[in-house]
Amino acid sequence: MDFLLQGFLHGFVLLFTGNSETYSAIWTTVGASTLSMIGSLTIGIPLGFLLGYKIFPGKKILRTIVDTLLSFPTVVIGLLVYALLTRHGPLGGTGLLFSIPGIAMGQTILGLPIIIAMTATAVEALDKRLPMTLITLGANQRQILWATVLEARYSIMLAAVAAYGRIVSEVGISMMVGGNIKWHTRTITTAIALETGKGEFAMGIALGMVLLAVALTVNILASGLKKKAIK
Amino acid sequence: MNTPIISLYNVRQRYSERTVLAVDRLDIEPGSIIGLAGPNGSGKSTLLRLLAFLEAPASGTLTFMGNPASCKSNQIHRQITLLVQEPYLLKRSVHANVAYGLKVRGESDIMAKVNHALELVGLPPDKFSCRQWFELSGGESQRVALAARLVLRPKVLLMDEPTASLDGQSATMIRQAALAARKEYGASLVIASHDMAWLNAACDQIIHLENGKISGTH
Ligand SMILES: Nc1ncnc2c1ncn2[C@@H]1O[C@H](COP(=O)(O)OP(=O)(O)OP(=O)(O)O)[C@@H](O)[C@H]1O
Ligand SMILES: [Mg+2]
Repeated sequence: MDFLLQGFLHGFVLLFTGNSETYSAIWTTVGASTLSMIGSLTIGIPLGFLLGYKIFPGKKILRTIVDTLLSFPTVVIGLLVYALLTRHGPLGGTGLLFSIPGIAMGQTILGLPIIIAMTATAVEALDKRLPMTLITLGANQRQILWATVLEARYSIMLAAVAAYGRIVSEVGISMMVGGNIKWHTRTITTAIALETGKGEFAMGIALGMVLLAVALTVNILASGLKKKAIK
Repeated sequence: MNTPIISLYNVRQRYSERTVLAVDRLDIEPGSIIGLAGPNGSGKSTLLRLLAFLEAPASGTLTFMGNPASCKSNQIHRQITLLVQEPYLLKRSVHANVAYGLKVRGESDIMAKVNHALELVGLPPDKFSCRQWFELSGGESQRVALAARLVLRPKVLLMDEPTASLDGQSATMIRQAALAARKEYGASLVIASHDMAWLNAACDQIIHLENGKISGTH
């Protein structure tokens, strides 16, 4: 019991004295998750929009596929991206294995189905009177598309928040594609998973608190957005 | 005589194989006020959607300013506007809702125009401009939706039961605002309503619909 308390105290010290090893992991996570959010939002919102807005053959099947990808295990994504980026893999020449952009690539794949599925649902749930209203107010095709995205904005932000929560807390991709290299690709989650056993108990607790704070923020944002989305 | 703004020739509308509207001939003259009366399901809303070029008829021809026109023309949608039976407000402020149509047209002087339109429908801009869409009563929403159309100064303003479910005072404001549209810029009005007293008082012509057919005109 005593050593748990010790760990907590030491963890706080690490956080508040700006311990460089701890903050290196935090910044790596910030970097990778920012890149992957940019990736999954720029690809995911347009695809989700099309999936929810357009009617085309095979739409049902595509929705089912996206919904299935929602529960894609992170280690399988890690395996896939590793296979792509390994020296003899199809993208081996890029040198992205064991790099932050490499991790971001895997995390983008993780975030994409969440963004696509939730955006599609948000667009489908829009009021049926919306297109007619925009047309009769004189909007052209491009203006209709943009106004429709804006109508769904709270639900799309909710999708972003949900994807972020999943991305910062994943371990499998960061571990397999990043390799937990100290000062380089060691993220919050890989540090906790792989360093705790090596005696870095306080650092694990410090980083755990950061993750909890992120989770709390994500949840507060999400419940606020949910309320706004249904108004 | 002037060219009618909109003319219908032998127009039929069908929903799932059922003919719900059959109008052989109808002209909307510039500056006229036409009332649409008829029981529930007689085709008033359907006729208004056709006149607004929001849907294509199953058969027949619609012309705009004498030329056959399609419901894909943004140019036409910018001159004819429809206030639907239960209007939808965008998830924005009152000001942004009324300003939307002006913005998509790239117009200037938006603030003054929006404020004027809000005054026309009896919503003081200083009190209502900044309200959000969810901070309005049903009657206020209805009036915001009307303001969003009045502000566009359309050639034709189509209104689907604009005073249904409003109290006497709000209904009066809607009626006055609609008439102001004709007085201020000569809009043609087509009003579907069950309020026969209003239609009798305001309209140049009343068209009675029954089972999708024009059963009488006076
Ligand atoms: N989208 C649709 N699909 C199938 N049938 C429809 C559709 N819209 C309207 N109808 C049918 O067309 C007929 C005319 O409807 P419309 O809404 O034009 O009547 P209305 O005169 O406006 O009635 P109300 O006074 O109740 O508003 C009705 O029988 C209705 O059931
Ligand atoms: Mg109707």
